[in-house]
Amino acid sequence: MKIDLKSPFSTAVAIGVGIIVLAGYFIPSFTNVRFILLRTGLVLAAVALLVGIINLITVHIKKLGADSDNSGYSLILVISLLATLVIGIIDMVQTYLVGKPNYQMTGWIFTNIQLPIETSLLAVTAISLTYAAASILRKRMDIFSIVFFFVVLLVLLGSFSIPPATLPFLHVIREWILRVPALGGARGLLLGIALGTITTGIRVLMGIDRPYGE
Amino acid sequence: MSATGFTGIVIIVLFVGLMVFFSFINKDRKTKNLRPIPAYDKIIQEIKVAVEDGSQLHISLGRGGITGPEFAAALAGLGILKKVIEKSSVCDQPPIASTGNPVISILAQDTIQRSSKAISVTDHDKNPSGELIGVTPFSYAAGTLSIIRDDNVSANIHTGWFGNEIIWITTAGERQSSPTIAGTSQLTAQSVIYASASDPLIGEELFAGGAYLGEEKIYQASISAQDVVRWIIIFIILASVLLNILGINTFFENVLAGSM
Repeated sequence: MKIDLKSPFSTAVAIGVGIIVLAGYFIPSFTNVRFILLRTGLVLAAVALLVGIINLITVHIKKLGADSDNSGYSLILVISLLATLVIGIIDMVQTYLVGKPNYQMTGWIFTNIQLPIETSLLAVTAISLTYAAASILRKRMDIFSIVFFFVVLLVLLGSFSIPPATLPFLHVIREWILRVPALGGARGLLLGIALGTITTGIRVLMGIDRPYGE
Repeated sequence: MSATGFTGIVIIVLFVGLMVFFSFINKDRKTKNLRPIPAYDKIIQEIKVAVEDGSQLHISLGRGGITGPEFAAALAGLGILKKVIEKSSVCDQPPIASTGNPVISILAQDTIQRSSKAISVTDHDKNPSGELIGVTPFSYAAGTLSIIRDDNVSANIHTGWFGNEIIWITTAGERQSSPTIAGTSQLTAQSVIYASASDPLIGEELFAGGAYLGEEKIYQASISAQDVVRWIIIFIILASVLLNILGINTFFENVLAGSM
């Protein structure tokens, strides 16, 4: 009979570390151990980024070979990733060995490519959010959706600084919505999420949910 | 130990005690005393559709990491991924999982491998896949669009940590006329999901996936424990309001300040 010692060991380590980190929040003498374990976790998470990038390249190289409509995007992704990686390595060598200013070329890529693209995507997001709020009644015509739609409308009107939306009562209504029902609702949701988070955490600590292997 | 630390330990001990208690008193495995959540009914329905028409389910797990409060949402998403793989084991096309965080990507691949092994998926081409899509909010959203636009994807399940960029993902599903079930623990993204997803999961509903999609007693027990603690909180809030109205609030303030 083959006995797999790996699974009870990994479970015991995960539960033990989880309990020590949790205890560190409540018992001051565990605080230092908690910080050491969390720092170790952060280092492991950084290593996971490398594994993730390898996974990303592997998936998209496979897509290049497949007869797919999206293979063009995969090609652009692989070329961009490799080019940025090579430029990053050259930059690192120049910064640390040659003594040139810090990461000049990588900085240029972020300022002139990444930043404008992300900013324009943010602008599109604003339009998409407005569209979603406007189309909610088409999706679900119930009392909650109607309330949601009119609250969004009132808050938007109360935020405008151009007539006729500058009427004082609109600002008063907006402030009241934000301070009373919106804040109360948000706190209610946060309490629910906190309860859900606690039960999820306890299930992991009890070994019922095991996202780290059998 | 501080008063906050003591309260924290009391809450955790109370939760563990209630979960154990409810799992013992609930002997009947098949009876579920749970309020209906349409989004979970929809997931079960969509798994059946995928089995019948040979299509694929897409599960996106968001971009939450392991070092913050977002990890709980990612864990809930991983739990739902596991249940969906188990339930869709007879599908021609296995589910596809996408993430925006490398650690969650590794955990998703591990969940997929374990679940596939447990349900004896021997054909490796039929193994579900887990992909890291992008590590920034917009690269993740933009990369996920290509999966949603795949004609073979019949439904999208987005459970994990998302920001406002989820609007891209949910509206893409709408354009494809495929059902979108979504839930997150981020407050602003929840309102976005409510407005744009066909079946939203609100608040703590995201964390109830195990109880609604699985059969294990402990998941239902954790929901019952949650409800009991919720009632205790409601009682404390109402009692505080009453005491405040009666002007007794200063008594507790003085006790906490240690000036009694």
